[in-house]
Amino acid sequence: MFPKVPDQHKPGKPLVPTGLGVIYVVVSAAYLFFLHAFGFDVESASISNVSPALTLAVCILFGGFMGLLDDWMNLRWRYKALFPLVAAVPLTALAYRMGARTAITLPFLGTINFERYYFFVLIPLMVTVVTNTVNQLGGLNGLETVCPAIIMVGLMVASGKSALLLTLPLAVWLVLAFFNFQGKIFVGNTGSFAIGITLAAFAIISDVKWCLLISLTPYIINSSMILLNYFFFRTKANVSFDGKRLFSDHRRSLITLITYRRPMTERQVVAIIALLVAASTVVAVAVQMFLL
Amino acid sequence: METKSASKKERIINGIKSLGKIRPKINHTTIMTITALTIILFIAFTIRLFPMRWEIDPTTGKTNLLLSEFDPYFQYRFTEKIVKDGVISWAIENNGKGWIDYQRWYPSGINVAKAAFPGLPMTAAFLYEIVSMLGVGINLMSFCSLFPAIMGALACLALYFLGKDIGGKPVGFLSALFLALEPSYIQRTSVGFFDDETIGILSLLLFAFLFLRAIDEDRRVNSTVKYALASGAVLGYFCAGWGAAYYPIGVITLFTLVLLIMKRYTRKLLLAYGITFGFGLLIAINVPKLSPNYLLTGAILPVAAVFGLLFLAEIVTNLKTAKWKVISVILFLALIVGGIIALSYAGYMRGIAGKFISVINPFTREASPLIESVAEHRISAWGSIYYEFGITIIFFIIGLFFIIGNLNNRNIFLLVFGLTSLYFACSMVRLFVLMAPAFSILAAIGISGLLKPFVALLKEPPKISVKKKYGLEHVGKEFSGIAMFLIFLMLMVNLAFPMPRVYTQAYTPTTISGGSLSISPQYLSVPVSEWIDMLNWMRTRLSPTTVVCSWWDYGYWITVLGNVTSLADNATVNSTQIENIGFIFMSNETQAVRMLKLYNASYILVYTTIRSDTGEWVNAGGDEGKWVWMAAISGKARQRFIDNGFIPASDMWNENLDDIRRLFGNYTIGTNWIDSNKNGQVDSGELEPNAKGQNATIYKLMRYAVESWKQKHGKSSSTIKLLYFTPEYIAGLDDDGSKYGGVVPLVCLYKINWEKYYSEHPSG
Repeated sequence: MFPKVPDQHKPGKPLVPTGLGVIYVVVSAAYLFFLHAFGFDVESASISNVSPALTLAVCILFGGFMGLLDDWMNLRWRYKALFPLVAAVPLTALAYRMGARTAITLPFLGTINFERYYFFVLIPLMVTVVTNTVNQLGGLNGLETVCPAIIMVGLMVASGKSALLLTLPLAVWLVLAFFNFQGKIFVGNTGSFAIGITLAAFAIISDVKWCLLISLTPYIINSSMILLNYFFFRTKANVSFDGKRLFSDHRRSLITLITYRRPMTERQVVAIIALLVAASTVVAVAVQMFLL
Repeated sequence: METKSASKKERIINGIKSLGKIRPKINHTTIMTITALTIILFIAFTIRLFPMRWEIDPTTGKTNLLLSEFDPYFQYRFTEKIVKDGVISWAIENNGKGWIDYQRWYPSGINVAKAAFPGLPMTAAFLYEIVSMLGVGINLMSFCSLFPAIMGALACLALYFLGKDIGGKPVGFLSALFLALEPSYIQRTSVGFFDDETIGILSLLLFAFLFLRAIDEDRRVNSTVKYALASGAVLGYFCAGWGAAYYPIGVITLFTLVLLIMKRYTRKLLLAYGITFGFGLLIAINVPKLSPNYLLTGAILPVAAVFGLLFLAEIVTNLKTAKWKVISVILFLALIVGGIIALSYAGYMRGIAGKFISVINPFTREASPLIESVAEHRISAWGSIYYEFGITIIFFIIGLFFIIGNLNNRNIFLLVFGLTSLYFACSMVRLFVLMAPAFSILAAIGISGLLKPFVALLKEPPKISVKKKYGLEHVGKEFSGIAMFLIFLMLMVNLAFPMPRVYTQAYTPTTISGGSLSISPQYLSVPVSEWIDMLNWMRTRLSPTTVVCSWWDYGYWITVLGNVTSLADNATVNSTQIENIGFIFMSNETQAVRMLKLYNASYILVYTTIRSDTGEWVNAGGDEGKWVWMAAISGKARQRFIDNGFIPASDMWNENLDDIRRLFGNYTIGTNWIDSNKNGQVDSGELEPNAKGQNATIYKLMRYAVESWKQKHGKSSSTIKLLYFTPEYIAGLDDDGSKYGGVVPLVCLYKINWEKYYSEHPSG
C-alpha cells in the first residue's frame, strides 16, 4: 500500500516504504475522538468546538494532510507557512475560550504579557515556526522520529494531567521510531508535519510553551543555519555518503556541522543529535518545573 | 397453426419487452446525484424535527405541535386570519385601512397591514389550503410548526443548485450538507420557528441563483430575460416577506458595481439588472408595509445610482469619439450631484447617512435599552464566529483563498456575498443566519479545492516525481483515499460527536414547551407545562376582551394561546406603551394601579423561576432577570412620568443601569450586597434588604408567588402583603422541583382589586 523509496544512506540503496506517519495521524485522531466522546477530555468542554482533545485532533489531521500535499506536490514555502497559520485558528479559539495565560515567563527576566497579540500573533507564529522547524531536521533514519519523541516525553512530563492527550500518540510514534531507526520505514512529510504541529498545539493547550521552545534549541539552530546560508549565500546543506559513513565539507546545517571533516555512520549522527535534543529537553523540563 | 401461435407468443414477449422502454433512462450519475441529495435533504429535515421530542406527551403519546419563541405566534395569528377570511382580507378590511387587531396593543390596537410583512403568512396559508384540499388532516398550528423544517430542507436544495453553478456538483453537495447542519440556521428553521427567516433564506438563495444565471454570457437573450424576471419575482417575494431584503438588494448592487469597476460590463448585465430590480421593486412597493416610500430609503437609492452607472457604461461603450464620452460622464456626474442636492433639500439625505453609518459601524447605533434588551440584536463578538462554525472555518478561509485566485463573475459574487455576510454576522447576532449559506459554499469550495489534486490522482495513474530527499517516483492511489479520509475525520469533529453544537442547537424544546426556561435541555425530560396550563386557564375562564398586563415578551402567547387582550408584544410598535408597562412593574402598587387604570386592565401577569432546594431566584428566564430592562426602558421617560404626575421626582429612576441597580438592589431586586471582606464572593451577612426594590410591584408580585410556593413545600417563608392585587392562579405551585432539574417555573396571574383601589382613592 505504501510507496517505496530508496534509502540513500545505505549500501545498495534498498527500497523502504514511506509515508507511514499517516498511521500516527489516524490513530491519534481516533484516540482523541475517543477521549472526547467518552468524557475523558482534559477540560470540561461544554461546547465541543473548543475541546482540547478535538482541537489537538484537528491540528494533527491538518498537519498530516499538509504533509500528504507536500509529499506529492512539493509545496512551495509560502504555502508551508500559510497552512499552519490556518491550523492555528482552532488553537487560538481554544486558548481564548479557556482563558489561557497571555504572558510568557522568562527565567530570571520576568513575565512579558502579550495580551491580545498572544492569540492573534504569537500562537499562529509559534505553530508555523515549530511545524516547519521540526520538518527541517530529518533525512536520516530515526532522526525525524526519535528526536520529536524525546521532546514529546518532555512536554508530557512538564504538562501534568494534560499528558493523557498524548499517551497513545506517543506509543504509536515510538513504534514508528523503532522501525524508522532500523531503516525499515520512513514516516514521510505526513509524519514530520503532523508531529511538529502536535508539539506546538500540545504546548499551547497545556501551557508549556517555554518548555517547548527550550527543547527545540537544536532544531532552531539547524533551521537558522539552513535559512541564513540560503538567504546570504544561496547555498544549501548537502551531506555526502561514501557507502559506509556520512561526511561533509561545509557547515550549513546541524548534520553537516556534526559530520564536517569527521566522517560518521548514520546511527552515530542520529545518536549525537538525539543526545543534544535530550539534553535540551531535560533543561527545558527543569526550567518549566522549577523556575517558572 | 403452430406458426400462428409462435408469432402470438413473440408479440406477447415483444410487448413485455417494450414495457421496459417506459422506464425512464437514468444513468448511474443521476441515480447517485438523486440519492445523495435525498439523503442530505432527509438529514436537513429530520434534524430540524428534533424539538418534537418535547411536544409529545409522555403519558398519552399525543403530539401537540406548538410554535417556538414569541414572534412565530404573531405570524400564526396572521396566517389564521388569512385562512379564515381570505387571502387579501387583511389588506382591504376597515375601508381599505387594513386589519386592526384590537387584542394586541390595547387600547389603540395594531394595524397589522402596516406593521407586518405578509409574505410568510400568505405562503403558509396558501400551502395549508393545498394540504387541506389533499385531505391531510392537520391543524394550522401544527402545519405552521412544521413549515420551517420544510423550508430549511428546501433552502438546502436551492443551495445545492447555486453551489453547483458556482463550483460544480461536489461543491453543490457539500454546501447543501453544510447548510443542513449549520447551527444558526438549524435554530431558525427547526420545528416551531415559524418566522420570516424561513422563507427569507430560501428566497435569498433562489434570488442569487437566478440572477447569476441571468447574467451568464453563455445564455441567449430570451433566457436572460426569463431568469431576470424570475429573479425579480423572487426579490419581490423576499421584500414582502422579510425586512432583511435590504441585504440581497445591497449585495447584488455591490456585486454589479464591482463588475463595472473591473471593466466587466456587458449588455446582459444591464438587461438583467434592470429587469430584476424593476420587477422586484414594483412588487415591493405594493406591499402595504413598504409603500412607494420604500424606493427612497437609504438601501434602495444606490440601486438607482448603479443602474445609472450601467447606463453610462452602455453609452460610453457605444460612443465613438472621446469628446462625447467625456461629455456624457460630466452630464452623469451633474445628474448625480443634482440628485443628491434635491434629496438633501427634501430632507432624505440625513436619514440615509445615519443609516449607512449605523450599519457600517454598529457601535454608533443608538444605545437604546429597548433594542439592547433583545439578545438577538446585540453586537456579536468577533470570537463567536469560531464557536458558531467550528473547525469548518478552516475550509472557509481556504475557500476564500481559492476564489480570490480565480475571479470569474460567480466567484466575485461569492466573495462579495461571503465578506459582507461575515461583516453583518459580526455586527448582529441574529444575522449569523445570513452568513450560513455563504459560509457553506465557501467551505465547500475550500474542501473541494484541497481534494482536487487527490481526486485527479485517483482517476489517473499518478506520474508525479517529487521528494528530492528520497527520490520518490510514484505514489499509490491509496494515498488519495487517505487524504480524503483525513478531511473526513476533520469534518467529523464538527458534525459527528455525541453533542456537538449542531445537535445541541437542534435538540432544544420550543420556548413554550421549555417553559421559557433558560436551562440545558438535558434537564428537561418532559415538556414544561406551567405556561401552557396558565394559557389554557386564561382561554377557558377569561373573555377575549379581558385586558391582561404583562411584560412584552409574553404578549404574543397571551393573545394567541390565552385568547385575551394584551398591552404589548415583540412587535414593539409603541415605545411609550412599553415605557408605561415598565413603569407599572417598577413603581409601587399605588403608582402602578394608577397607570393600569389608563389601560382598563383586569389582570397582571408575572413570571419567575426559583431553585427547589433553597426556594430562591435562579434567574432561568423569569422576570427576576428582566426587571433591569423594565427599569431602564421606563427610566428613559423619567421626565414624562414626573410631568404627568404619576410619580414624584424624588422617587423616579433614570435609564442608567448602574444607578438602577444601586436604587433597586445591586444583588437582585430588593437585595443589596455589600462585599465587606472584599473577596468578590457572597458570604453570610453580606446581603441586606433594599427597601425601594422590595416596594416595587414586580418584586411583590414575584415574591408573593415564591413565598406561597415555599409555604406549600414546608420551607420557612415570610408574608408578602399585596395592596391592590389578589392572586387568581399561580401555575407551578405544586411542582416540587423534581421535574425540571431542580428549577421551578412559576407563572402568576393576579386580579387587580379595583374596588379597594377606588375605595381608598375615590378621585382615582
